[in-house]
Parts: sequence; C-alpha cells; structure tokens
Amino acid sequence: MTVNTGTVVAGSAILDPSTNSAFNPSAAPAAATPTLTPISDTSAAKRPRNAKGFFRGGGYIGIILPILIIGLWHESANRGWVDAVFLPPPLEVVKESWLMLTEQDLLHDFWISISIVGQAFVYGSVLAISLGLVAGLSRKVELFFAPTLNTLRHIPSVAWLPLIVLWLGLGAPAKILVLAKSVFFPVFLNTLQAIRHVDKNYIELSRVLTLSRWKMVKRVILPAVLPSIAVSLRYSAGLAWALVVVAEGLSGLEGLGFLIFRAQGLLLTKQLLVCMIAIGMVGFVIDRGLYLLQRRVTRWKVAFEG
Amino acid sequence: MAVPGLLEIRNVSKYYNIPERPLLQVLDNTSFCVEPGAFVSIVGPSGCGKSTLLRLILGLDDDYQGDILLHGERIVGPSLSRGIVFQDHRLLPWLTLEQNVGLALENVKRPARDKAKTVREHIDLVGLHGFEKSYPHQLSGGMAQRAAIARGLVNRPEILLLDEPFGALDAITRIRLQAELQQIWRVEGISMVLVTHDVEEAIFLSHKIIVMNANPGRIAREILVDLPSPRDRASNAFNEIRREVFSLMGESTVLSLAA
Ligand SMILES: Nc1ncnc2c1ncn2[C@@H]1O[C@H](COP(=O)(O)OP(=O)(O)O)[C@@H](O)[C@H]1O
Ligand SMILES: [Mg+2]
Repeated sequence: MTVNTGTVVAGSAILDPSTNSAFNPSAAPAAATPTLTPISDTSAAKRPRNAKGFFRGGGYIGIILPILIIGLWHESANRGWVDAVFLPPPLEVVKESWLMLTEQDLLHDFWISISIVGQAFVYGSVLAISLGLVAGLSRKVELFFAPTLNTLRHIPSVAWLPLIVLWLGLGAPAKILVLAKSVFFPVFLNTLQAIRHVDKNYIELSRVLTLSRWKMVKRVILPAVLPSIAVSLRYSAGLAWALVVVAEGLSGLEGLGFLIFRAQGLLLTKQLLVCMIAIGMVGFVIDRGLYLLQRRVTRWKVAFEG
Repeated sequence: MAVPGLLEIRNVSKYYNIPERPLLQVLDNTSFCVEPGAFVSIVGPSGCGKSTLLRLILGLDDDYQGDILLHGERIVGPSLSRGIVFQDHRLLPWLTLEQNVGLALENVKRPARDKAKTVREHIDLVGLHGFEKSYPHQLSGGMAQRAAIARGLVNRPEILLLDEPFGALDAITRIRLQAELQQIWRVEGISMVLVTHDVEEAIFLSHKIIVMNANPGRIAREILVDLPSPRDRASNAFNEIRREVFSLMGESTVLSLAA
C-alpha cells in the first residue's frame, strides 16, 4: 500500500492501518480540488429489500401452534374427554361445513355479512377521512363538530342498534348505518390527530416553496397522515367485522351472525363451530389485506422489524 | 442564468411577543448588505437570532421593524427567487430524491419534461447521479444535505440562504461539502448567505463575515475576507481572521465552544 498525501492520513496510518482506506478518497486533497462526485458513504442506499418468503425468515413457525391445537382437539374428541355436544371432532365440523355449503346456502349468509361490512366500511371511512381532513385543516370546523361527535362516540354501536332498527327495519340498512358509525370514529379521530401532528417544519417548507394549499395537502399533509389512517382503517375493519356478528345476532334472519346465534339456540354445535371458523378466517383475510395496504403507504419508513 | 440578488438589510429589529412573558428582543437594529454574486456568512453564538433573520429574509414572518430589500424592493412573503437550505435537510421522507427536488418546481409553470430535465441537472450538480429514486432514509447525512442544496437551487433563485447546512455532519464530510458549495456558487453565480457557527467554514467561503452578538442579537462587526482562493486553512492570514472573529464573539462564545 502506498503512503498517502497529507499529514493527517500518514499519521493515522501509522497508528491504525485500517483507517487508511477510509481516509484515502476524502480529507485534505478533496478540499484543495473541489470535485462533485458522490462521497463514498453511499452504501446505505439501494440496499436490496429484505425478501421474505413464507418459509424463509422463520415464517413457518407460525403454523406449529394451529397444528397442535387441532391435534389436541382431535384427540380430545376421539378419547371422549369432552362431550360431542360441546365440542364435536374436527372432521365432523369439516363435513358439516360441506353440508352447510351445499345444502343450506352458507355462502349466501357469508356474502350478506361481508357485503354489510364492506358497505359500512366504505361509507364510514370515506366520510371519516373527508371530515377528518376538513376538520384537520380548519380549526373552526373542528370546533363546530367536536362537542357533538365527542358525545355521540361514547354511545356504543350496539346501543344504537335498537333505535336504528326501529327506524330502518330489520334489513341491511340499519346494520350498515350502525357499523359505519363504528368505522367512522376511529378513522376520523386518527385522521384529525395525525394532521395535528404533521411536523410544523414541513408546513413551513411548503410555504417557502410557495405551494398552493391544495398542493400542500396533496404532497405534504396527505402522505404524512396516510400511515395513521391506514392503521385506523385496519383497526376499524376488524371492529366492524366483529360487530356485524353481534348486529346480525340481535336483528334480522340472515348472515353469519344470525346463523351462529341460531346454532347456539338449537344446540347445533357443529354449525356454530363452522360459523366461528368462517368468521375467523374472513377476519384474518381482511386484516392481512389492510396490513398490506398499510405496508404500501409506509414503505418510505424504516421500521423496526424485531 | 438567474440575476444574482442584491440584498439589503436595513435597521431590522425583531421582537417575539409571547403571552405572559416579557417582550423578547431577538434582533436589534441590524443592517448589512449582500452584493450581487457575493458570498456572505453570518456567525454568532446560538440564540443570537441568525435563523430568525433568515426567516425574515425568506418572508415567512413580516412582523419586524426596518426594511429588507431585494434589488431595492421590499420583500413580501416567500418567493422562489429566494432559496433556502435548512440545517435539518428537511427532505420529505415519503418522496424520492428526484420528487423532493422537483417539489420546488411544483408552483412553476413549465412543461413537465423541462422540469424533469432541470431536476436531473441539479441532482448531477450536487453529485447524486444514480440516487434519483432513493428515499431520504436511504441517503447519508451528507447526501441528504446535497439533495437539500439541489432543491434550494433548482428554481434558479437569485439568492440562496443556508442555515447551518453542514452543522450536523462529520468533519470530513463537512470540509468536502464546503468545497463543493464553493464550486456550485461559482457555477451558478448567485448570491449566497450562509449562517454557520463554524468560524473556519465562514472564513474559507466568504467575501464578508457578519459577526453577531446575542441578547439582543446585533451585529458586532463586518469583516471583509480578502484572501486568495483556494484558501489555506493553516495560513497565518487565515488564523489572524479566525482570532479576530473569536474575540468579537466574546468570551462566552469561546467558553461555550470549548464545552
Ligand atoms: N417562534 C418563536 N417564538 C418565540 N421566540 C423565538 C421564536 N423563534 C426563535 N425565538 C427565540 O429567538 C432567539 C433567537 O433564535 P434563533 O433565531 O433561532 O437563533 P440562532 O439561529 O442564532 O441560534 C432565541 O432566544 C429563541 O428562543
Ligand atoms: Mg439557528
């Protein structure tokens, strides 16, 4: 290795040869002859994304527990630890689900529930995001709505249901309205809160760059609050899916919620379990879907991945 | 090429009126001038109102006494003729490098292809070619600060203001970027005002150094730096000026620098 120019470099090279190469391209010579080349510390950029397949990165360990649970369930039914009225064996439940699909039109109830939640989710979140943005951008609007909304939100959705059913009847509209309300509040509050927390420096920056108000909303405020909104969407979708079961159990004659409560009344434990599993799986799919959305809108963030 | 700005600060005083607290005077009757194409540095202890002064020049705050004139006209509000580089690079984390630089052109009426070309040129100018699609968290501190410089320049402002742009960088990167900034200043031919607390940086780069004192912020003296370029940081003349600046900033500053 040749000795470098400059006293700093030579000095440190004697103390610790490893620093030599780190000093080589920069330091004193660079100051004398200004160049416009990127500095060497660019390795952080363009790092390949952590490719995580299901079975790579240890994803498979998540499958162990469900297998154990199903195995235990199977054994307990086989050996008669639990009466089949309370816990029918897994295979019976699978058979029952096939029966329900082919002969009782389970899919119909399935779609009823999904469509109620879907509509409620869309109406509730669109209204919540719009109103949240408007209230976030204007203190006046916020103050106008705050007392009313703060009172309404403390009345639980289930408590709203009887009145709404009285008005709108036992059909889907009442449930959609009540669920939309339960989607609305978390999303609205999170949107508003997130706007209040947008870094003031970014607002100052948009003033310096003479961005119009609309451009500022589009380029600065919206992207800044999108992660919070996505989290609240994910949360409220789960909430709505859980609530639809309750709402259908309390009113109406169709949907997974209706089936599950009817099954309980008639001691059709197999049907009850089929409904539970269907509800769980849909909930899982909804959550995954919104998780992917959340990942997408936060891809510019560096997250702690454990 | 942009016309280099002539900036005049005339008898500017600034108070902050915080409710339930005594009126805080931040700037006391400051006056100085930045000649077209000049490089002027402002040094002074922290809290002496340097950032406040830049905010006034940017037009972010018009609650002050005195006049700030660009080409003889009082500045009103922010304008693309005045660019800024903040200490925290202030790149938007959700935009790529090229989108961040392009943000400064959002309010400019020009064909998109034209804008893209200008953005590319300025990214090249600061040596970040190849990183157009990178997000800020993928850039090092020095690269982010270059990106901020590119954003400050992409509008071809008449004057570029820099608020301690290299303050958070390590010594080697800082020295490198100082040289690059000087190069950019020569290429662009615009006026620059650099706020720094690195006295050496000020002497290395400037025609003129405005030394400020605190409580309230005021100008202690203007020092003209009449050294040949490239400047040798180890020369006697350089050290002479350094000593003068430190003595003007007063003991308190020297102590706080030592701390
Ligand atoms: N928005 C503000 N409201 C009240 N006081 C402020 C505000 N901005 C700055 N100050 C005060 O003004 C003084 C000068 O601040 P600043 O201009 O940031 O100093 P410098 O940049 O020289 O360190 C400080 O005492 C600071 O606390
Ligand atoms: Mg400051």
